[in-house]
Amino acid sequence: MGKRRASFLSYKASFTFIVFVILVVFFSFFTPNHTFVGSNNIGALGKLIPDLGIISLGVGILMIAGEFDMSVASIIPVSSFVFINLLAWNVPLIITFILTLMVGIALGTINGFLVVKTGIPSFIATLGTMMFWKGVVFAASRMMPIGLRAYLEPGSTLENVLTGTIGGYFPLQFLWFLIISIVLLLFLHIHKFGNWIYVTGDNKNAARAMGINTDMVKIVSYVLVGFLCSFMSVMQTLRIESFTATQGSGYGLKAIASAVVGGTSLTGGVGSLPGILLGTLTIQILENGLILLGAPVFGINAFIGAGIVIFAILNVLAERFRTR
Amino acid sequence: MAEYIVQMVDIHKWFGKVYALRGVDFNVGFNEIVGLVGDNGAGKSTLIKILSGYHIADRGEIYFNGEKVNIQTPKDAKKLGIETVYQEQALAPHVSISRNVFMGREPSKFLGFIDKKKMDNDSLNVLTDLGLKIKDPNLVVETLSGGQRQGVAIARVLYFKAKLVILDEPTIALSVKESQQVMEFMKQLRSEGISVIFITHNIYHAFQISDRFVILSHGEKLADVRKEETSLDELISLITSGKSKSEV
Amino acid sequence: MGIDNKRRRVVDLFIEFRALDVFIIFILLFLTFLLLSPGHRFISKDNLDVFFSIGSEFTIVPIVIGMLMIAGEFDLSVGSNLVFCSFIFFKLIDVGVNVWLSSFLTILVGTFVGFSNGFITVKAKIPSFITILGTMMLWRGVTLFWSQGLQKALELQGHDFFVKIFTGQIAKFLPVQFLWFIIIALLIGFIVHFHRFGNWLYTTGDNKQAARAMGINTDMVKVITFSIVGAVVAFVAIMQIVRVGTFTSRAGDGWELNAIAAAVVGGTALSGGIGSIFGVFWGALIISIIQNGLVVLRIPYYWTFTIFGVILISSAIISLYLDKKRLSVGAAEAGN
Repeated sequence: MGKRRASFLSYKASFTFIVFVILVVFFSFFTPNHTFVGSNNIGALGKLIPDLGIISLGVGILMIAGEFDMSVASIIPVSSFVFINLLAWNVPLIITFILTLMVGIALGTINGFLVVKTGIPSFIATLGTMMFWKGVVFAASRMMPIGLRAYLEPGSTLENVLTGTIGGYFPLQFLWFLIISIVLLLFLHIHKFGNWIYVTGDNKNAARAMGINTDMVKIVSYVLVGFLCSFMSVMQTLRIESFTATQGSGYGLKAIASAVVGGTSLTGGVGSLPGILLGTLTIQILENGLILLGAPVFGINAFIGAGIVIFAILNVLAERFRTR
Repeated sequence: MAEYIVQMVDIHKWFGKVYALRGVDFNVGFNEIVGLVGDNGAGKSTLIKILSGYHIADRGEIYFNGEKVNIQTPKDAKKLGIETVYQEQALAPHVSISRNVFMGREPSKFLGFIDKKKMDNDSLNVLTDLGLKIKDPNLVVETLSGGQRQGVAIARVLYFKAKLVILDEPTIALSVKESQQVMEFMKQLRSEGISVIFITHNIYHAFQISDRFVILSHGEKLADVRKEETSLDELISLITSGKSKSEV
Repeated sequence: MGIDNKRRRVVDLFIEFRALDVFIIFILLFLTFLLLSPGHRFISKDNLDVFFSIGSEFTIVPIVIGMLMIAGEFDLSVGSNLVFCSFIFFKLIDVGVNVWLSSFLTILVGTFVGFSNGFITVKAKIPSFITILGTMMLWRGVTLFWSQGLQKALELQGHDFFVKIFTGQIAKFLPVQFLWFIIIALLIGFIVHFHRFGNWLYTTGDNKQAARAMGINTDMVKVITFSIVGAVVAFVAIMQIVRVGTFTSRAGDGWELNAIAAAVVGGTALSGGIGSIFGVFWGALIISIIQNGLVVLRIPYYWTFTIFGVILISSAIISLYLDKKRLSVGAAEAGN
């Protein structure tokens, strides 16, 4: 079950794991009153980790296929905006949900075709779409937040299913995250298509020579990212009960950071789902721990930035070490 | 039974204003290794790209096993049993051997989920058939030597029942020992009833292993001789002079 | 590098198809905004002042970004570097360091940031944009962290001459920032188009292997270019903070994308090896004029993101298309 590959990545994954453990221990001890391991914080993490994790899984898989998506930060608020506005127009909740997911799929498809058909580097193309949709959602909402409760009473089935708890304690959001992780794990590591993703990212020409439609593989990966973004956006909007125009801010870089820290190569073809999960956990608790230590929000970005750089360097060094 | 496995008749190809192939006839017999040689720009790559479906000839016909065929895409060529092995471009370095062998054609029992046991076993078998001494099909390709990597690429076409294998500069980045290994693979292919087109700059390698030589120059066929009818020195002078055999 | 090369480069510079195109687009935009702005506000003294002074702060950056892109690399951290240097300068003045020394040190710091970007990129062989993504967050994060709640104004009393250098007016009408823009553009243009180093830049960006085979130390070329970017960004930071008078933590926000867009609009290829400083000059002015024009036309600022997204993507596509056309002839000739 991808164990062979995971063990081949063992150098990167185990290093990340060590870092993760160190961070957990560090924060457990040094946060005032050990708030890091307090039940409030664990509860919070139970909601924050799925948010970042669902996005990172998509972004990471796309990176394995050899491309980047910088537009997640915009797909999230666009989805949220559509969701709430559809509710405001009295569209039934379940239809609203489906339409919102379709918006994510549509935006993902646009990204995919843009990258594949024009040949522009994916990070430029998706920076472009990110800016494009950012402007659209800013203008459409005039930067004003919208409350959910004006249009949706609490207690709807969808809300309970997506954001409720089991036994009043275990967040369903986290369960959804696990389900998605397992599905994607099987898809990436055991399914044919997963192999196509790896080889497309590793050596696109070889894949094409073998008859794999690499364009389709990439487009599907972009659609996956779009879908996951809109799914997460609905969950998030239901949980925080509002839409804000800056809702997705920061996720783009954090998702890439999670993937990189989890051993995903920046050039494609290398990475694993367990790795991305581990990377997500690491980045999320890093952010969480620093906030609890009283670090100003902006300073945290510095650490995440440093994290990307350090791990990217380590990945490269590990590569060289292994192939010596 | 046809005389040749592949017959390319009067092939012409233009790229814009450039006249790349000027009426080339090219045949490959059964159980035969043909060395396709010539200097840069001679048209070797273009010719075999037409055969493997990456380009379409502007004029001319192709016969496979005696029947006229229309090769429009790489898939068409593969269906006929024509496989090409490029050097660097054949394999994904960070992916395991077995996943490389079955790239795009992964065996599956159920809904597209890979049958890993079959994949691993079959790749191991075909590697052994070819003479490669690799025991673990889960090794990642980049840990293999150049010669072994070529072996994996060749094992792949062997497994998928190629009838004609085109090797485009297979020995170019390899050491002496590794090159010999690749040439052993070619012999192995021939003994399995598979014909080989061996494109190379290295006339010594070509001479060592080919049954027949075809020399191209500036889009035209300069010579088409069996090994018995020529010598290494003659071949070299033919290529460097650029004149056809009758003129020399 | 003989006379022939130089002559050809002059020719490239002035009648290269793309660069002229860009110039024409600039003129068209200028006229459009002129006509569309209510009361022709666009060419009012006030607006032109803004365009040439504040606008020039921005336009300097694409010049060096373009240079870096020719060498095949990107720098997405210019905004962060800018705010960081801005802060350093402020702090230095605050603790009483002499203005000239402060400037020098700030530029040194900026150069160092650029240098480290370059170093990480070439030595760790990480795609530059990721390095930069990381460092971008790093420097801005560090700056924001240090500058929490900073409210003081920049104290530059008694340094009128210094202030004038960065924010004065030439002949009472042209802001001096624009002059700096021209000077830097000429300087960089000279290096890129007439100096040996420029040749190395093109070769490195076009085909790194070939460049190395010819003995060009591509690593050094890139690191030097990154450092130049850092130095120039620091210079702009000083220029800006002297004009504004206080430190803003939002300085340089979003500049990186606009700088790349400007370079791309000016004909620089995303893959490296192609582009001209002349083109980037006009590309930068185009971006600047659009930013200015949108304000004059009272278009809500949120649309700027969308517009720039469209500009970035379409100029990338056009750039790629034109380059393919230019290269396809060569490929046909080399066709096997």
